[in-house]
Amino acid sequence: MESYTHKSSSQTVHKWRKVAYGGMQPGFDDNHTDESFLEDMIMNANVVKRDLVKVILDAVSISQYLCVVALVVLVWTYTLRSMFNEQSLMLLDISLLGWGFTIVLLTAEMLSFELLLNYILKTSFFITGLYILSPIYHTLTRSISSDSIWALTSSLVVLHLFLHNYSGSTVESPGALEFSTFTSNISLNASIVASLLIASRLPSRLHVFAIVLFSLQVFLFAPFVCYCIKKYSYRLHLCFSLVLMGVTLFLVHQLHQLLFILLLSILVFVNLVCPYWLIRIQEYKFEINGPWDEAKLCFNITE
Amino acid sequence: MSQQGKHRILMVSDFFYPNFGGVENHIYYLSQCLLKLGHKVIVMTHAYGNRSGVRYMTGGLKVYYVPWKPFLMQNTLPTFYGTLPIIRTILIRERISLVHGHQAFSTLCHEALMHARTMGYKVVFTDHSLYGFADVGSIHMNKVLQFTLADVSQAICVSHTSKENTVLRSGLPPERVFVIPNAVDTAMFKPAPERLGNHEIVIVVISRLVYRKGADLLVEVIPEVCRLHPNVRFIIGGDGPKRVRLEEMREKHSLQDRVDMLGAVPHAKVQSVLVTGHIFLNSSLTEAFCIAILEAASCGLLTVSTRVGGVPEVLPDDMIVLAEPDPNDMVMAITKAIDLLPQIDPEAMHNRMKKLYSWHDVAQRTEIVYDRALKCSNQPLIERLPRYLSCGAWAGKLFCLVMIIDFLLLRLLQLWQPDRDVEVVPDINLTSHCREEKWDSGADENYK
Repeated sequence: MESYTHKSSSQTVHKWRKVAYGGMQPGFDDNHTDESFLEDMIMNANVVKRDLVKVILDAVSISQYLCVVALVVLVWTYTLRSMFNEQSLMLLDISLLGWGFTIVLLTAEMLSFELLLNYILKTSFFITGLYILSPIYHTLTRSISSDSIWALTSSLVVLHLFLHNYSGSTVESPGALEFSTFTSNISLNASIVASLLIASRLPSRLHVFAIVLFSLQVFLFAPFVCYCIKKYSYRLHLCFSLVLMGVTLFLVHQLHQLLFILLLSILVFVNLVCPYWLIRIQEYKFEINGPWDEAKLCFNITE
Repeated sequence: MSQQGKHRILMVSDFFYPNFGGVENHIYYLSQCLLKLGHKVIVMTHAYGNRSGVRYMTGGLKVYYVPWKPFLMQNTLPTFYGTLPIIRTILIRERISLVHGHQAFSTLCHEALMHARTMGYKVVFTDHSLYGFADVGSIHMNKVLQFTLADVSQAICVSHTSKENTVLRSGLPPERVFVIPNAVDTAMFKPAPERLGNHEIVIVVISRLVYRKGADLLVEVIPEVCRLHPNVRFIIGGDGPKRVRLEEMREKHSLQDRVDMLGAVPHAKVQSVLVTGHIFLNSSLTEAFCIAILEAASCGLLTVSTRVGGVPEVLPDDMIVLAEPDPNDMVMAITKAIDLLPQIDPEAMHNRMKKLYSWHDVAQRTEIVYDRALKCSNQPLIERLPRYLSCGAWAGKLFCLVMIIDFLLLRLLQLWQPDRDVEVVPDINLTSHCREEKWDSGADENYK
């Protein structure tokens, strides 16, 4: 050790280099650290500066979907309380289907006749299958108590909301990231199971058919329709969301005071508190990049 | 008890022979050279198949294959305390003075270092790989590394990039991290006795064909190079999930007669493949050091490599052509390398490599680190706990708890089987025929 410190004083001509070859560099220990240490480190290179207003506007999509789910739960509750009969439910189904197709037709830029035919054909197959299966669903949970069903359903709905892919639609997610498909599939399945569980408590087969059809229409196609609206016009999307929120809050208020407060506080939390929070914690963002990172390929791998 | 200035070292890692790779090579050669320097070296790893128990390797290198089954990628199941009894027994039996752990994702290494610290041994840790900071796996690994390195005496990294990475990940002061690169056995990697002709240029690739080694880059680069240079031929050694893609590429561009796919090449045959080529191509996307480049340079090949991780530090600029990990840039680098080829003399390159890298040099530098580690002061558990506590709000407390339980378990073990009841292994001198005089004096001291 001493010999090395001695050398460093006599051989100052040697300049330390950041290389691994050539053995120990004369005059320097292996733990030598100079100002070039960490010089290639880049901090917060990919951090996006977020704007509070934009984040709040983006959060509207989430509260919009929350309201859609709340409306579905409302319909479930009223049906279970026998305040909706089969006829009105079927009417609701048909009008929803009609509205959905109209919106898709109006907003889509490139919708060929074949594609539309394809959609209609698929939907009709789907409805037929559902009608045939509804007697099975009708008796599915006869031996289970209603409390268990409600508990299970509410936890499934919460799971659905947590894992839902809010960035696009669940049916055809254009631009959605690869990894998000798994969680959105789980989310969709949770919602389908929840609607089947609720349907199985209903008095008649037609009830079951109508309510499952209604739930599936909403869970499968509502995100897609909302996505279409959003793509067509952002202003329309905002207006639609606000109206939806107002209507939902009013209807929930009619049903139960406590649920109204709960929904209102969730909406405020999602739309105002969370964006503010996100902006606040942005300053703690600490991202490190450097030569040790795995290189990213600049082309797509086509398997 | 032991010879003056000579250590009794326990190397711990999940990765050792019969497995093959950079870490395994490093441990083996380092141990061999340390043995030659007169230290006692023991290697501890987990059982490989039915290879369990104590084995001896070249030069009397003793290897403990601990009967502990690997569960994922040759790693043992992390049990925290399961390995304490056997590690304690080995440390006492072999009268170890210093524990040297290798590789950040070896669980056995982490556990051994923890137990060794609890028992008051000095520990040295070598990090052989690079990690990012963004994904969940890396965050977890970095926390584990922080735990192990919180109380390590000295750490070693294989390149300066690796040192920067380790310092950032573990929060260790940079003065305690040494850079000691890998080396290459130049006697094993000799150039071909006759120079290859220049009418046909052969580019060799030897690597596992996986994403991280840049197999997808090869798929883009090879057809383009073959199109630009009609006299170039490729030899690809190695196997892996991306082999199918390379074979597809070969079919698609009808390059069957210009691209040879050899499949997996055993390490002993690597040299014979390397010497059939002029240029070595490395397309890794991340690399802490890259021994393959050293082996190729030692065989007298000009290297073309991606500029990632520690690769730019490995060779002098006139022995390597670097390119960004981008197909166009790599094609340009290969073209540049082909132009440089007439100036390359494999024999001269081999002789240069002999001077640049040797395992003896690595062993001597590691020895200095060992001396430093042994000079660190002994601290009781209560003084070491604050270091763990500073590792994080939750993690710090958890780490402290883990260490306290380890300490209590050790005390329990000591009650159950006191240290003096553990039989000590007598030193058998297997290499006496080559260093008789030196060892006689040493042996005398041993039995005093």
